Amino acid sequence: MEKKDLIIRVAGEGGEGIISSGDFIASACARAGLEVYTFKTFPAEIKGGYAMYQVRASADKVWNQGDTFDVFCAFNGEAYELNKHLLTPGTAIVYDYPGGDFEPEIPEGVAGYPIPMSATAKELGSYRAKNMVALGALSVLFNIVEETLIRVLTDKFAKKGEKVLSINLAAFEKGKELAAALEKKDEWALAEAQDPKDVIIIAGNDAVGLGAILGELDFFSAYPITPATEVAKYVSIHIPKIGGTLVQAEDEIASISQVLGASYAGAKSMTATSGPGLALMSEMLGMAAMSETPLMLVDVQRGGPSTGLPTKHEQSDLFLAIHGVHGDAPRVVLSVEHVQDCVEMTIEALNLAEEYQTPVILLSDGSLAFSTQTIPTPKPGSYKIVDRKLWDGQGTYKRYQLTDDLISPMANPGTPGAMHISTGLEHGEDGAPKYAPENHELMHRKRFDKIKPIVDRYPPAELDGVEGEADIGIITWGSTIGVVREGVARLVEQGYKVKAMYPKLMWPMPVDQYEAFNSTCKQILVPEVNFQGQLSHFLRAETSLKPIPYTICGGLPFTPAMIVDKVKEMV
Amino acid sequence: MSVAALHKVEMTPKEYKSDVAPVWCPGCGHYGILNGIYRALSELGVDPLNLMVFSGIGCSSRTPYFIDSYKMHTLHGRAGAVATGAQLASPEKAVLIVGGDGDGFSIGGGHMPHMARKNVNMTYILYDNGIYGLTKGQYSPTSRPEMTAYTTPYGGPEEPLNPLLYMLTYKATYVAQGFAGKPRDCAALIKGAIEHKGFSYVNIFSQCPTFNKIDTVKYYRDLVGPISEDHDVTDRGAAMELARREPNKKVPVGLFYKEDKPTLDERVAEFVTRVGGKPDYDLNKVLDLSRP
Ligand SMILES: Cc1ncc(C[n+]2csc(CCOP(=O)(O)OP(=O)(O)O)c2C)c(N)n1
Ligand code: SF4
Repeated sequence: MEKKDLIIRVAGEGGEGIISSGDFIASACARAGLEVYTFKTFPAEIKGGYAMYQVRASADKVWNQGDTFDVFCAFNGEAYELNKHLLTPGTAIVYDYPGGDFEPEIPEGVAGYPIPMSATAKELGSYRAKNMVALGALSVLFNIVEETLIRVLTDKFAKKGEKVLSINLAAFEKGKELAAALEKKDEWALAEAQDPKDVIIIAGNDAVGLGAILGELDFFSAYPITPATEVAKYVSIHIPKIGGTLVQAEDEIASISQVLGASYAGAKSMTATSGPGLALMSEMLGMAAMSETPLMLVDVQRGGPSTGLPTKHEQSDLFLAIHGVHGDAPRVVLSVEHVQDCVEMTIEALNLAEEYQTPVILLSDGSLAFSTQTIPTPKPGSYKIVDRKLWDGQGTYKRYQLTDDLISPMANPGTPGAMHISTGLEHGEDGAPKYAPENHELMHRKRFDKIKPIVDRYPPAELDGVEGEADIGIITWGSTIGVVREGVARLVEQGYKVKAMYPKLMWPMPVDQYEAFNSTCKQILVPEVNFQGQLSHFLRAETSLKPIPYTICGGLPFTPAMIVDKVKEMV
Repeated sequence: MSVAALHKVEMTPKEYKSDVAPVWCPGCGHYGILNGIYRALSELGVDPLNLMVFSGIGCSSRTPYFIDSYKMHTLHGRAGAVATGAQLASPEKAVLIVGGDGDGFSIGGGHMPHMARKNVNMTYILYDNGIYGLTKGQYSPTSRPEMTAYTTPYGGPEEPLNPLLYMLTYKATYVAQGFAGKPRDCAALIKGAIEHKGFSYVNIFSQCPTFNKIDTVKYYRDLVGPISEDHDVTDRGAAMELARREPNKKVPVGLFYKEDKPTLDERVAEFVTRVGGKPDYDLNKVLDLSRP
């Protein structure tokens, strides 16, 4: 496969401007009309620690972070040590030398570009401008459109005053000069600029917040937790603009309780959290299911259990999302693949909660949370917005009336003739407690059966790869889908009979779709980033499939190469 | 409480009764509190359609079933947090929370300071019987150490907490205490609480003759005494002094403290005004912020 993209990794000590350098490169690429997918890892500490930012840019759609970098920019010795095993022939390294804290050995076949980043920045009187020296060098060496980069820098630093701007621009110029004096020893260059596209560039968490705003959210309550807090941050900035309310609760039990109360009062409501928060919320999720109160929750998964690996990527909350509740309680669980999904599926999840009067959990993950991606600019007003079914005022109001579709009309407080109790006790149609065994069974059936149609109404899972019979069928979920897409494309190009299925409705499970897919595959491979193989477990429990789990949980996502290698090993 | 919901209807206390009758034990103090609530609602002409009553779990938390209004019977300890969301989502409604000392100060204790300090515009009526009634008589955060109970056969090993000091410390803007044996006094305190704009808290001693064998009606009658007329209800320090419990000192009932302060919903509404928020806000302006 011809390689059309360029992957640049910048790494060093947290606080050295790694993140802003990455952001600048990403923005400049997006302004140059390229598709961008970024990938970051943070230290759990506030100051210091290893930070890494990788930008993958291409004229074509980019689905994942890629296998490894083409170009590595090392800000310090630690970054070099952690990445030197990836310096394979054909790659390039730009490094802080002389004057930095290390002197790398450049392996055979690797292009090395020493740039005295720290020393130059010090000379210019601002150590903080080190990253601008690096950026200047990168722009010359790898054709990162200088014009756009300078515009991005100017936009950013202009806010900080004339002096900061001029020092940073001087550092950038100096970096360019230093690089221009070196001999270009590799082939890497960013794709030529394209016609500018109508895109935004946004991180997964912000995109969830954007989806909430576009989805006409009224009320948001959350408690801060890595890696979900940016959702609340984004919503807090924008929700007053549409007249809505955000509060920070004292804990996750309070935030989900507030969301339930707001929803009861008639507001479209949601919260965002990560695994530990979701665990605390499980009792109230049972209450929402029992009282049939619409409620939406985003879980940005992180490495668990317990405090686990707070800043690391994992897809290990599927068990908790689907079954983490006391008693038998229905819920809908969706998962997002990429940033565009974060916008659109947040709107969908809000809609489903309102329509089916049940808790809806949207699963995102740690790498998506901070991954910025270019997406077509969403069009406000173009999305279908669903509001709860309200009582029409006819006859006697019964909150839990057994209607044909099993969805009982709601009556928001204030509605004449419809005063009722919403309760966590088992109840009859009118909401009054009722413990008769046949009533409990009947109401269970109501609550579970009402969400069943979602399986058929929800768009079928996307299929990928070869048509017809395949040797290997891959089923995966969440942001791993983007990795598998590229793996499958490479395998198909190499003549392998591989296909894939990408479910986004995780629960209730589209069993028939899984069975149909299975009937065309000799073996089923299920890659996912958790220890137990959680989707494999559900497939074994709910379908006749015999999945072969492929699990990793080292805090990082899969790469396309890992998928390719695994499939080759299996056939 | 939101004034929008007050003086809207003329209803007798009885007309606030739902068609579900309480099933509390004979002699239970909760009956007196419920009657106080009916009377206060009637005197204030609270429109039932615009009244939302929230409770957690406990004998006392059954109260919403007996009031004709919109209501939610939530989880043990969570009524206040649920009510906070409802109040913020619908600030023109009247919001009442009812529940026990276990519900409020044990399992729900984490929420109590925050309702108070955030000055959420709602009324919390706490039925303080010094015991867990519904689970058949275990000691609670307000039980006296000398009480032997279900899980404290040798007496309680703990100091009780002082609900009034707690609420005063966390800056509730209306703090009162009553005794269920005096339903008219309770009604007056509840009325004041409902009328108050901001977070109002009424602690009401309520005997549990079935399980709390030491906090009897007689005990409470001897214990409580009215607050002296010259107490300044705007003086938090004086209110805290009054609220301190000492051996052989009468426990005051009446209004301890009252303060006017912006409520959480008012503060949040200011943000909307500040950013020029409106339902048809041009969201393209939001999107432009994410252009590369
Ligand atoms: C999560 C949870 N834990 C425990 C219980 C059991 N429980 C129900 S009511 C109650 C205590 C009730 O005491 P209190 O709130 O003082 O009210 P009272 O019954 O005395 O009016 C307990 C422990 C529960 N319902 N939920
Ligand atoms: S157990 Fe106690 S609190 Fe519960 S109803 Fe009986 S007397 Fe009242």
